[in-house]
Amino acid sequence: MQPALEWQVGEVTRVRTETPRTKTLTLALPKWMAHRPGQHYDVSLTAPDGYRTERSYSAASEPERAGEVDLTVERIDDGEVSPYLDDVLMPGDQLEVRGPIGGYFVWDVSLGGPLLLIGGGSGVVPLMAMLRHRAAQKAPIPARLLYSSRSAQEVIYRTEFERLADGDGELEVVFTFTRHAPPGWTGYQRRIDPAMLDEVMQSLGNGVRSYVCGPTLLVEAVSNALVAMGLPAGRVRTERFGPTGT
Amino acid sequence: MDDEVADMNMALMVDGNAVAGELQQIFGRDMTTAVARCAGCASDAEMGALLAFTRGPGVVLRCPTCRAAIARIVETTTAIYLDARGAAYVRMGSRP
Ligand SMILES: Cc1cc2nc3c(=O)[nH]c(=O)nc-3n(C[C@H](O)[C@H](O)[C@H](O)COP(=O)(O)OP(=O)(O)OC[C@H]3O[C@@H](n4cnc5c(N)ncnc54)[C@H](O)[C@@H]3O)c2cc1C
Ligand SMILES: [Zn+2]
Repeated sequence: MQPALEWQVGEVTRVRTETPRTKTLTLALPKWMAHRPGQHYDVSLTAPDGYRTERSYSAASEPERAGEVDLTVERIDDGEVSPYLDDVLMPGDQLEVRGPIGGYFVWDVSLGGPLLLIGGGSGVVPLMAMLRHRAAQKAPIPARLLYSSRSAQEVIYRTEFERLADGDGELEVVFTFTRHAPPGWTGYQRRIDPAMLDEVMQSLGNGVRSYVCGPTLLVEAVSNALVAMGLPAGRVRTERFGPTGT
Repeated sequence: MDDEVADMNMALMVDGNAVAGELQQIFGRDMTTAVARCAGCASDAEMGALLAFTRGPGVVLRCPTCRAAIARIVETTTAIYLDARGAAYVRMGSRP
């Protein structure tokens, strides 16, 4: 039996700025359980008048890191919850969460590869948990990450991606910029399309497992394209974040 | 429904996986890999892959094939209502 899903109060132990609009909160959890990469936590905020609201945030850290979990939150300026998480919470503050949740959008090394990860904006967060886990397990599973951002400035985990891909012949990280590419950029500068997917997938061979995460409209477009390219629908796992960003 | 409203609803749509917490609270186990058969078109989908609309009062889960409502969840201060008349059945492994 699974243990019951209970709300618990975590403590913020660290806040790290990732991009001008994104921060990572490290939460120490009294009832921490190892997550499967891709799973999320529900966060609950209660106002002084008793009004309660909940949002989901993916675990960004690898499950090998016991006792705590990283949540990476993109601030949506007119949003109800994300500005509070990014601009108000500080180390020492408490936050009510439940998790880890969801067995549908998960990958771990026991599932094998080849692995095709496609993310837009903060949709890269659960994919990063998968890559950190893959690195922690030193699993030489072929993997590609195709990551769409508006600009280079908005790329989350940039230096860590460079470090992960450096010296790992089986991992390739490919960026595309939809609004501003850095000067001299020779890579992709458009929204993800079938031609791009085809090029990124080419070297992966058959039996690809794909995970697509980000703003709903990006996930729609990419998952439809992958199925049209012949991937079985059961191997195209999606996580739609809603209208958030692009 | 005019096109603008349809586009808006589309952008707000998430996956059944996004309400995994609510489902687990109701069933006491993860339901996202349980398979629901649509009562309308008889296609099967893992509950995590249903289309979820969470911005209204309550949650509506729809069939990814024909878009019919499979289940509705409404939570009041004292009770949770689950209307699952759009599912012919839900199949889950016996050992979660
Ligand atoms: C499973 C899952 C995992 C997620 N993981 C992450 C993660 O790791 N990191 C992350 O940053 N985000 C993640 N998200 C998104 C996150 O849950 C929130 O949706 C996001 O932070 C915005 O919340 P908010 O309260 O700040 O904004 P909201 O107040 O919810 O508003 C968000 C935006 O949508 C618009 N909007 C909201 N409701 C409507 C409406 N009815 N009609 C029109 N427009 C509307 C608002 O104007 C605003 O622009 C995840 C979502 C899911 C479902
Ligand atoms: Zn149907």
